Amino acid sequence: MTLPNLQDYHRPATAEETIALMQQHGDGAMLVAGGTFVHGLEVRGLLEGVTALIDIGRLGLASIRREPGGILLGATTTLADLAAADFVRGEPAFGAVRDALTYPPPQIRNVGTVGGCVAAAAPLYDLPAALLALDGRVQALGAKGARELPLDGFFRGLFESALAPGELITAIAIPAPPARTTSAFLKLETNANDLAILSVAVRLTLDARGAIGTARVVLGGGVGEAYVRAAAAEAALAGRKADAQAFAAAAEAVAGDFEPVADHRGSAAYRRHIAGVYLRRALTTARERLG
Amino acid sequence: MQKLITLQVNGERHELAVEPDESLLQVLRNRLELVGPKKGCDSGGCGCCSVHVDGRVAYSCMMYAVGAEGREITTIEGIGSPATGLHRLQQAFIDAGAVQCGYCTCGIIMAAKQLLDTVKQPSEDQIRLAIAGNLCRCTGYAKIVDAIKLAAAQT
Ligand code: FES
Ligand code: FES
Repeated sequence: MTLPNLQDYHRPATAEETIALMQQHGDGAMLVAGGTFVHGLEVRGLLEGVTALIDIGRLGLASIRREPGGILLGATTTLADLAAADFVRGEPAFGAVRDALTYPPPQIRNVGTVGGCVAAAAPLYDLPAALLALDGRVQALGAKGARELPLDGFFRGLFESALAPGELITAIAIPAPPARTTSAFLKLETNANDLAILSVAVRLTLDARGAIGTARVVLGGGVGEAYVRAAAAEAALAGRKADAQAFAAAAEAVAGDFEPVADHRGSAAYRRHIAGVYLRRALTTARERLG
Repeated sequence: MQKLITLQVNGERHELAVEPDESLLQVLRNRLELVGPKKGCDSGGCGCCSVHVDGRVAYSCMMYAVGAEGREITTIEGIGSPATGLHRLQQAFIDAGAVQCGYCTCGIIMAAKQLLDTVKQPSEDQIRLAIAGNLCRCTGYAKIVDAIKLAAAQT
């Protein structure tokens, strides 16, 4: 028994019921989807205050829908189901999503969910960095109704997001990528179950002349309490031809974009160095995907 | 407050009273006496506890038993035994000498089974990726990979 104050495990059938339970239990409420993140907190003794586990597996939120404006990923879609989607497997624009989903082992891919890894708000997770690079948006539902929040700005600190108390994520929306869009994700880890020492997600949209119209560079892993939008690296790419010189300039600029964590897994100088190396590699991969 | 649940394990229905925070692994081992799934790290890092949930491999230590209600659970006991006949993966692990202490074996076989259920002739890379979520402290993996290749060759 590692949840000393737990009263009950609920399996609501509707979002309304879920929201009512969250209101009833306030800070004691903890949502469960795949359960992997919750379990990780539990074994670290961080869930002593939890009075109710609320399993959202029956809300019917496991779906992948292609709509005119983009893609809608239901919150409880598993990482494995997302990895199997045609657009993830085949389209350069979703290369970062494809890459990010190759890192977790099958046991995590089969149960971990899209909404869960976003709600966790820990920059150590892979997929959210890719979704952020694709300008993803969070669809949330609470007692006051539904709203949509950009992922950019959603992550406020470790385990802290822009979700209001009593709100749950129902879906992640990814706007339809413009033509000539490509992306990639790369992660430094020590084994398949490792959290990122450092990760990089990039997205490039080229304009008609082949220059970089839009660039997104997102850093994860030991980069602080939340994912970092690397503004200097993005600025170094914008408007330039998507070639090795531009990528080298971005790799140099990214060092100034974040304050690396220093721990036994890597010094700050090492993480800064790796950020440049991995950024250049990710950009090169993304560029190659456009052919 | 305990909860009454019905779990479908290895084709059998079990009516059980469990704690709301009991893991599927705890229930399998302590209540159903299915000790094939092992408790290694108990935190999603080693794969010893791997079982299939609706035909897909998962860490049973990270799943709440209450949440597993309504799903089809398969443990190593459910895929073959000396009494009912060994699964070809189990036999291949013996034939290839892929077991030393054996603590990781049941989990690795369940991970390998998902691969062989979906890919008939996997490459060595596919085999290694399929068991990337499982640790073995004894064998060095070479014979485990050999065993999975051997089982794949027998389809
Ligand atoms: S005991 Fe479940 S992964 Fe280690
Ligand atoms: S045989 Fe001992 S851990 Fe694998």
